Amino acid sequence: MEYFLQQVINALSVGSEYALLALGLAIVFSIIGLVNFAHGELITLAGYMMFFAAATFVHNPLFLLPIGVAGAVLGAIVFERVAFRSIRNASANTGILTAFGVSIIMQNAFVIFIATRPKAVQTPEWLSSVMTIGTFSLPVLQVVETLVTAVAIGILLIVLKRTTIGMAMRAAAKDFTAVRLMGIKANMVIQAAFVVSGFLAGLAAVFIISRRGAIDPFMGSVPVLKAFVACVLGGFGSLEGAVLGGFALGIFEVLLQAFLPDDITPFRDAIVFTAICAVLVGFPDGLLGRRVELGDKEA
Amino acid sequence: MNRLRQSLINSLFPALLVLVCITVVHFFAEPFQVRVAYVFFMNLTIAIGLQIFMGNTGIVSFGHISFMGIGSYAVAILTIPLAMKRILIPDAPFGLAYVHLSIFPACVVAIAFTVLIATLFGFVLKRLTGNAAEILTLALLVITHVVFIAWIDLFRGPRALYGIPIVSTLYWAGAAAIVAIVIAKAFRDSEGGLQLRASSENLLAARAMGVPVEKLRFRAWILSSGVVAMGGILHATFLGTVGPNSYYFDQTFLIMAMVILGGMRSVSGAIIGTALVAAGSELARTLENGPVIFGEKLPTMFGLTGFFLGAVIVLSMILRRDGIMGDDEFEDVFHRWMRRRKEENSGKPSAVSTSSAS
Repeated sequence: MEYFLQQVINALSVGSEYALLALGLAIVFSIIGLVNFAHGELITLAGYMMFFAAATFVHNPLFLLPIGVAGAVLGAIVFERVAFRSIRNASANTGILTAFGVSIIMQNAFVIFIATRPKAVQTPEWLSSVMTIGTFSLPVLQVVETLVTAVAIGILLIVLKRTTIGMAMRAAAKDFTAVRLMGIKANMVIQAAFVVSGFLAGLAAVFIISRRGAIDPFMGSVPVLKAFVACVLGGFGSLEGAVLGGFALGIFEVLLQAFLPDDITPFRDAIVFTAICAVLVGFPDGLLGRRVELGDKEA
Repeated sequence: MNRLRQSLINSLFPALLVLVCITVVHFFAEPFQVRVAYVFFMNLTIAIGLQIFMGNTGIVSFGHISFMGIGSYAVAILTIPLAMKRILIPDAPFGLAYVHLSIFPACVVAIAFTVLIATLFGFVLKRLTGNAAEILTLALLVITHVVFIAWIDLFRGPRALYGIPIVSTLYWAGAAAIVAIVIAKAFRDSEGGLQLRASSENLLAARAMGVPVEKLRFRAWILSSGVVAMGGILHATFLGTVGPNSYYFDQTFLIMAMVILGGMRSVSGAIIGTALVAAGSELARTLENGPVIFGEKLPTMFGLTGFFLGAVIVLSMILRRDGIMGDDEFEDVFHRWMRRRKEENSGKPSAVSTSSAS
C-alpha cells in the first residue's frame, strides 16, 4: 500500500513537472504560434541564477526558490524582446528555427562563460526530507510539487477567466486582430504570455533543481523535450490538452519505471515516445486537439 | 523525360564544383585537409538529404540525423570482422554476431534497412501536420538515440563499436555527394516535387488542385532518408568506429545550420550553406582550442562551435529568412544574369521587361 501510494505521488509529481512546462509552451503557442524551443533554457537560467545568488548574497536556501522563479520570468521577457519580437509575423517554421537557435546559443553560452561541469545548488533541507502521515511516509518534495502545480493551474485559470489581460490572452488565441481592434496593445498580450510561461517554467525549474541537486548547461533540454511531446499528445496549442498530456506522460513514465523488468528499463523513453506515436496514429490532432479544416478562420 | 534531362544538365555545375574540389584536394592537400574535405562531402550529402525533405515539404525535420545513425550502425554491424564481433557484441540478437557481408552488399542492406525504418515512421508522420509533425521528428531522434544507448547487446550501448573496415576515400564521398545532388535536383524538378513545393506555400490551394500532399510528403521522407543513410555509411566507413553521440543533437545543429543558412528551399542553397558553415565551424574549432595569434595565447573557449551554429541559425532567421539562395538554384541566378547582360548590350532595357523578369 505504501509502495503504491508512493508511486502515485511520484507519478503525479513527474506529471506536474511536465504539465507546468507544457502549459507554458502551449500559452505562447496559442497566442503567437511559436514553438518555443528555448523554453528549456529558462530552467537552466533559473538554475544559474540560484547558483550565483547562493554564491554571493543569499544564505538562506529558502530565498533561492523565488530567485529561481524570477530568473525564469526575466529570461522569458528577455528572449521575447531580443529574439522573438523581430520574427513575430513570420511563418511558423521561422519561429521554431529561431527558438531552436536561441536554445543552442544559450546552452553554449553557459558552456563558454561558466562551465560544462555540474554545479551543486542547495535547496532547503525540508524539501528533500520525508514526511509521515499516519502510517505512510511520503517524500515532501513530490507532495509539495503536486500541490504547487495544482495551485498554479488554479491561479492561472482565475487569471485567464477573470482579468482583462487574461481575457485578452484567450481572445488573442482565437483572433489577434480583433483583440487589437478592441484597443489592447499586442505587445502587452504577448509579453504577458511570456511572463506566464516563464513563471510556470520557473516553478518547474525549482522542483527539477531540488530533485537533481545540481545544474549544468544542458539540463533544460530533456524536460522540455518531454513537455513538447506532452503538448503534441494533448493537442498542440490547447491548454487543457497540455495539462492532460503532461500528466498522462508523467504517469505513464512512472508506471513503466515501476513495472518494467530491469533489463528493459533503459528503453523507457523510447517506449514512451513510440507509444505516443501510436496514439497519434489514432488521434492525429492530439487527445484534445480540434480538427481544423484548412482555411477555417478560427484556426 | 525532358524535365529529367533538364535537371541532369542543371546538376552538372554543382557536380563540376565537387569534382574541382576533389581535384584540388587530391593534388595540393595535406592529410588533415583531406580529412576536412571528406567530412565536408559527408555533411554535404546529409545536408542535401535533409533539404530533399525540408525544402520540398516545408516541414522542419529534427529527425534526419537518426537515419544517419541507423545507416552507420547497420553498416558497422554487418562489416565488422567476425573475430572482432565476438569480442564486442558476442550476444547480438538475430544471429547478427555471425553475419558478415562485404562492403557493397552491406551498404545496400544498410540503406534498405534505413528506408524501412523511415517507412514505418512515415506512416505516423504523414498523418500529422505542421508543428506536431516537427516535434514528432524530434521524438524520432530521441527514440533512436535511446535505442542505440540502451540496446547493449546489439549496439554496445554508450561505448563505441570499432573495427569497421576503413574503405571509404575522398572519391567515394565526392561520388556520394554528386549522387545526392542529382537525386535532389531531379526530385525538386519532378512533377511531384513541384506539386509538393506548391503545397508547402499554400496547402489549401494545392489540395484544391488535387495534389496528393500526403503521398508526396511520404515520398520525400523516404527518398531523403536513403540519402542521409548514405551520409551515415560514409561516416562509419571513414572513421572505422561508431558511437551513439555522433548521431544526436550536435550533428543535428550542424546540418540544420548548413541547410538554413543557404536557404532550405534550394539545393544550391544547401551546397553554399554547407561550404560556409563548414568553413565557419572549422575556424570556430580552431579558436575554441585557444590558438596563439601574434604571440598572444587566446583562452580556450569550449562551446564556441555550438555558439557559432546557433548564431548562424538565429541571424539567418532574423536577417534573411529564406537563406542566401532563397528559391533560386545556380542556373536561375545564371539565367537572370545572362538576361540582364543581354538587355544591357541591346542598349534599351525596357522597364516592362525588367520588371517582369524580376
